[in-house]
Amino acid sequence: MTSETPVLWIVTLAAVALTAWRSRRYIAALAQAPGASRFDQPWRRLEGVAIAIGLHRKMLRKPLSGILHALIFVSFFVLFTVTIEAFGSRLFPGFSLAPIGGDSWIALLQDLFAVLMLAGLGLAVYQRYVLKPARFRGSSGSDAAIIYVLILLIVSSLLVEAGARIVGGADGSWRPVASLIADLLRALSVPARPTERIAYWIHIGAILAFLIYIPGSKHRHMFLAAPNIYFRNLEPVGTAPAVPPERETPGVASLAQFDWKQQLDLLSCTECGRCQAVCPAYASGLPLSPKMLITDMRDALANDASTPLVGGVIAEETLWACTTCRACIEACPVEIEHLPKIIDMRRHLVDEGRVSPMLQDALTNLTRLGNSMGKPSKMRARWTKELGFPVKDARSEPVDVLWFVGDYASYDPRVQDVTRKVAELFTAAGVDFGILFDAERNSGNDVRRAGEEGLFETLAQSNIDAIRACTFNRIVTTDPHSLNALKNDYRHFGGAFEVLHYTALLAELVAAGRLDIAPADGATVTYHDPCYLGRYNGGFDAPRDLIRAAGYTLHDMARCRENSFCCGAGGGRIWQSDDGVKERPSENRIREALGLGVGTFVVACPKDKVMYTAATDALGVASSLRILDVAELINLREAPSA
Amino acid sequence: MKILVVLRMIPDSAGELELTSDGRGIDREWLDFQLNDFDDHALEEAILLKEAAGATVVAVAIGEGSNRVLQMAVARGADEAIALEAEGDGMIDSRAIAGSIVALARSKAADLVLCGVQSTEDLFGQLVPYAGALLSWPHVSGSSRLGADGSALRVTQERGGGIAATYEIALPAVIGVQTASKAPRYVSGSKLREASKTAIGKAPSEPAGFERSAEIVALRLPGQRGTGENLGDNPENVAERLANILAAKGFAGV
Ligand code: SF4
Ligand code: SF4
Repeated sequence: MTSETPVLWIVTLAAVALTAWRSRRYIAALAQAPGASRFDQPWRRLEGVAIAIGLHRKMLRKPLSGILHALIFVSFFVLFTVTIEAFGSRLFPGFSLAPIGGDSWIALLQDLFAVLMLAGLGLAVYQRYVLKPARFRGSSGSDAAIIYVLILLIVSSLLVEAGARIVGGADGSWRPVASLIADLLRALSVPARPTERIAYWIHIGAILAFLIYIPGSKHRHMFLAAPNIYFRNLEPVGTAPAVPPERETPGVASLAQFDWKQQLDLLSCTECGRCQAVCPAYASGLPLSPKMLITDMRDALANDASTPLVGGVIAEETLWACTTCRACIEACPVEIEHLPKIIDMRRHLVDEGRVSPMLQDALTNLTRLGNSMGKPSKMRARWTKELGFPVKDARSEPVDVLWFVGDYASYDPRVQDVTRKVAELFTAAGVDFGILFDAERNSGNDVRRAGEEGLFETLAQSNIDAIRACTFNRIVTTDPHSLNALKNDYRHFGGAFEVLHYTALLAELVAAGRLDIAPADGATVTYHDPCYLGRYNGGFDAPRDLIRAAGYTLHDMARCRENSFCCGAGGGRIWQSDDGVKERPSENRIREALGLGVGTFVVACPKDKVMYTAATDALGVASSLRILDVAELINLREAPSA
Repeated sequence: MKILVVLRMIPDSAGELELTSDGRGIDREWLDFQLNDFDDHALEEAILLKEAAGATVVAVAIGEGSNRVLQMAVARGADEAIALEAEGDGMIDSRAIAGSIVALARSKAADLVLCGVQSTEDLFGQLVPYAGALLSWPHVSGSSRLGADGSALRVTQERGGGIAATYEIALPAVIGVQTASKAPRYVSGSKLREASKTAIGKAPSEPAGFERSAEIVALRLPGQRGTGENLGDNPENVAERLANILAAKGFAGV
């Protein structure tokens, strides 16, 4: 075989060089990218990699894809031993796996896993070309096809090579599949040696072609998925990306301004489309697919194009379509972070004043008055006037619980009744609470996610100052959006508080027996997990506990908890027009609920009350599906009259 | 070119207006104040002129909340910010402030004074003619587009019926802006925070030299109009009831 050694050396080195050359742009981009601190907590990071890859946790949420990927994935490792042998035996004459079982148990495994690989490949082809899931729309079809052909070549050539070797006299007792092929070759009376050599070189050629092909293909994820998961974000998911101090303006206007992890994300995308399948903006017909957001940026990174990033590679409408629901990140098997990129690009647009008229109005109102509706701050606590009792002013007397009410709960007439109900429940349970009256400002959660970092800082500072001037133990918020900002964003602006959602406080009061509930008759209701309560802050159980405690039977929708479907209001979407929307996310959600045949749709967010009431009105189903806040479900027993 | 822009702070109409005890003014104590919308357009037009032809923009603000609005003006591109001291805290009376504006226009050597065509406290748009008269400069009100053309200014003025007239007037001049050529831009919070460091100058109030002409003897709050009627939320019923109401009021033949 020695004559083959120099040839293989030359071809292999050439292939490796070509691969490196094809990767040069990516390598240069990553090398020049700004830093990101993703090196802490190595054990926790490794554990995440083990779960994501070893257990295929997110992959298996789609069973067929998960199983076929697991088959291909495991087979790849087993068959890698074939590759090692194929190259090792010729590059370093005398090298062999035989001493550790290359001709026995390893041979058996190779034989079996070659078949499993083909089975996985078959399922993949069946899924892509017969089932055609919508999430593949926009993924590169030719890329997948080329890889399928290369895998088929690699696996079949290795089986034929082994079969030919058996025909030539090798021991086939550990290779049942190759033995069958050997029988076939004998039947066709193909010459053993030349067949073996041809199959060998096809195998080598296909592997090297695969290697060379990978840098330009989504199959980079074979190398990058593990590092990308390892370097994933370990901060609380509710904290928006900070603006690095070295940036001159808050936003990002070019790919090179993204830190290396954000750029690594782009290279790691598998084009699986799981993010696209759960995206409410995509479902509503808006020009945003989180998958294509990533792949478009990735292609721009490779092509070194002169097209501007914001408003060029990524259209402005695409950026404004996002509700910041975080469903994409939750679904992504390789932990790609779509949202930080969207927020950073929005920051650039806002800094340049490129905002729609509606958003401009809302932001101007927020700047001027601290609320998006343009209402005077003096009217913020107006809802308390119709209560039968006074509400403490936390600015002038100490309270146990400082209630941060939020804009919608304070100002929107459709929600004020709920706010009063919450106040009544707190009072009935003997909670010592107070509010900030006109010192409260919008929490800035959605302002920040709309890309208005400067205004967010102003709002946050004003709230933090007001809160710190009060004496209290805990903060409770009505709005999950406020909850998120106060709990996760304010920490970095000098405000570390204990913050909980009103559903958590109510659940606590119920558990402590401080609310004397008159339970309902067990009617079935469904419940919508608000993004900023559930996916962002893990508040899945308290609202459900309350629903049960109130005497109702809960029938969850298929998309619930982590997989909840956004109402469409978040991240400043509520301040944008519905132009281009084919089906509002809220109406999509109401249709899902209607399919369950329940009469009540329970919410735990003031914006949801507004969005879903509007949706049932628009669909003409307001009489068959009531939108009620969790608090409205709770009926208290009349206090026994003295 | 040096442009002086006048920014007047007016009561926020979304607030609840209450009259003072003598019934001759609005109780300003609990009110929020906002920039007069037309003045916002005047500011935008000044900045657009600066961007197109080069100019120095001096923003002058009057009334409660002036400093905040001046910072905004600087963030949008104004070069200098001046808060005009007002006499008392009543309405911003064009007849009274014209003298101060004119004094500033002279001391700053402005060759163009821009202000909103009217304000809720000057519905007849008197500031522009007063200032023009005191300065003996030409003046045009109701502009929808300004263009610098050497030492002259092209002013497009909206007339009724969709007709627009374009004037060419020699500088110096006073213009009452109805709308800027482009909608006022959004200025980001980070630019505002940056601009909040700018020093804001002060200018004393100067008499206009006019005799007092008239006094307000009474103000009246808007009265309760007829109340609305809720048509319910069932689209079919709503349509039918609406049709009946229209028919009953003689809007449609049924
Ligand atoms: S955050 Fe939600 S709306 Fe935005 S891209 Fe991701 S899935 Fe789509
Ligand atoms: S971003 Fe993640 S979920 Fe979306 S296509 Fe790429 S790998 Fe799949």
